[in-house]
Amino acid sequence: MSARDAILESIRVRRLARAPMPGIYRAPRSDGDLAEVFAKKMSAQHADVRMLDSMAEVPAAIADILRGRNMAATVHVPPGSELETLALPNVEVRRGPPGPFDAAVTRAPFAIAETGTLVYPSGKGAPASWHFRPVLEIAILRAGDVVAELEDVLAKLGPLPSTLNLVSGPSRTGDIEQTMELGAHGPKALAVLVVRH
Amino acid sequence: MSPDPKAFPQAARDALKDPLLRPALGRLKTHFGAGRAAAVQRYGDFESLREAGKAIRDHAVTHLDDLLVTFEASVNARGGTVHWARDASEARRAILTILQDAGAGTVTKGKSMVTEEIALNPFLEANGIVPVETDLGEYIIQLRKEPPSHIIAPAFHLSKEQVAQTFLAAHTGLDPKRSLEERNALVQEARAILRAQFETADAGITGANFLSAADGAAVIVTNEGNGDLTRLLPKTHIVVTGIEKVVRDMTDVAVLLRLLPRSATGQPISTYVSVMAGPRGTAETDGPENFHIVLVDNGRSSLIGTEAQDVLRCIRCSACINHCPIYGAVGGHAYGATYMGPIGAALNPGVMGVAEAAHHANASTFCGRCAEVCPVMIPLPKIMRHWRAVEYSSGLAPKAITRGLGLWAFAAKRPALYRFGTRVAARLLRLMASSGMVRALPVKNGWFAVRDFPAPHGKTFQQQWKARR
Repeated sequence: MSARDAILESIRVRRLARAPMPGIYRAPRSDGDLAEVFAKKMSAQHADVRMLDSMAEVPAAIADILRGRNMAATVHVPPGSELETLALPNVEVRRGPPGPFDAAVTRAPFAIAETGTLVYPSGKGAPASWHFRPVLEIAILRAGDVVAELEDVLAKLGPLPSTLNLVSGPSRTGDIEQTMELGAHGPKALAVLVVRH
Repeated sequence: MSPDPKAFPQAARDALKDPLLRPALGRLKTHFGAGRAAAVQRYGDFESLREAGKAIRDHAVTHLDDLLVTFEASVNARGGTVHWARDASEARRAILTILQDAGAGTVTKGKSMVTEEIALNPFLEANGIVPVETDLGEYIIQLRKEPPSHIIAPAFHLSKEQVAQTFLAAHTGLDPKRSLEERNALVQEARAILRAQFETADAGITGANFLSAADGAAVIVTNEGNGDLTRLLPKTHIVVTGIEKVVRDMTDVAVLLRLLPRSATGQPISTYVSVMAGPRGTAETDGPENFHIVLVDNGRSSLIGTEAQDVLRCIRCSACINHCPIYGAVGGHAYGATYMGPIGAALNPGVMGVAEAAHHANASTFCGRCAEVCPVMIPLPKIMRHWRAVEYSSGLAPKAITRGLGLWAFAAKRPALYRFGTRVAARLLRLMASSGMVRALPVKNGWFAVRDFPAPHGKTFQQQWKARR
């Protein structure tokens, strides 16, 4: 008998009863504007969240974030993404994968208000590793793309991409003396530009 | 130190005398315990969430065969491959074959307790493959050649000074006079060294916190992002996990994701949650080209239909460990097993055998905190009590305990004798007391070395009860 069949058989012969189908769970929801709830929760997770009125404000915000962290005016933008058309005066734009001291700009197609979470399905122009390679990730999010909870994202998404990344703040570890330190393997800093219109 | 669950009593005594363990164990309450309590408070109706989590896991455990078959079909449909392993040796062999077929020399690893359970690293090394642990805690203990002392915080037992010494000894290419006093300096040093490993590894191995049957997906939660670099940068990604991790779909996973980090570290969500389904798509520029899942039974299916079945609901959050007074006194290494604390006490006798791990089931005060904080409501003390009963009935319990219990049972079945015995004992204890406290007894007993015992007041409970009626 194959290992597969032996394991399945071992489960079947021992089972005494089957538990009923679980009911649908409804999580408690926060009141208020979803983008505002998202911003509050994301900020609490050590991200730099900025509310912008329009996409026209994005270039200045990116330049300001880089200056504020004493970083070179260079960002990596994923080839094949809609961000390639973004005009960034005075900022050098590179297309290759970001290194461990680089900044990357990404576009989050969804976000979750409940936990302050960016949602990135992998795909064309959306390489999953870019959320982990750079030292700084600058995420662009439209306020209208914030949903209440993960279940809403799953409903909108349809079949899963090969990788779905939920990102709730910069990388961190508590492995030394259970004390949080930022920038373990992924970005040390995460900035989120929430664009209202 | 070679892990040996049978050595638990002596290892526990040694651990109690280890001054280096005290500060770490103190952080159980101030960090993990307080964090969970605050997160539960903020959530609101956490009890309904626990009920929902229990129902999902109960359904999964009692439909495991169907879900695994669905999961396998979903993985195949996405171009991945499922491998089944009855025991640790089959699992190790399956992983080695995948790595050899991929021509892998170096493999990065995300945190996985199942790969600890099957002792994967020494096996890979013996076969010429270099495993590199990338979770910071796992990396530290790999350098120190120690097993994890906690299931979510493997280097829980160490101070930052001990970590600094470890790095100074291991990273010989760096300036020996560099400052490693700050925790962040240690984190950044590990980040730099491990990033180079991610970039050059031939394959990556991660565990899975959950499997979604409908999607053929493995879900991992991390705070560091190491699991993702492990999956995404090498050509081959292997997920190694237990058969019990599968649930119906991502909606089930969404509920469990609300329970896991809150119960573990008190976070509302871990920094990263990654859903990994198959190899990279045709339009994608990164991600693995090959995707394998190794499903490990290793004793799990044998618990189905037994008194210990509920332990299969476990989502490995460590809340029971973090709230256990025994773990809090002796730490994780004393258990001599991959799973320690209450979850180890309930699981290990079932999968390792009672003869091997009965000490774990006895390492409990039955205070019940573990069951109170368990996110999926596993009746941990009840399962430990079951293993104690098995130990007793199969004659494995120590002679002193079986004789003592036999003597007690003999008296308890004879009310007159029992009443006489308790009256005599109460009077004798009073005679031996000074200023109301018994300070020593003429028997070989460690109790009085560290404690006194209040002397009985005079009449036994039964005498007082009779008088009152």
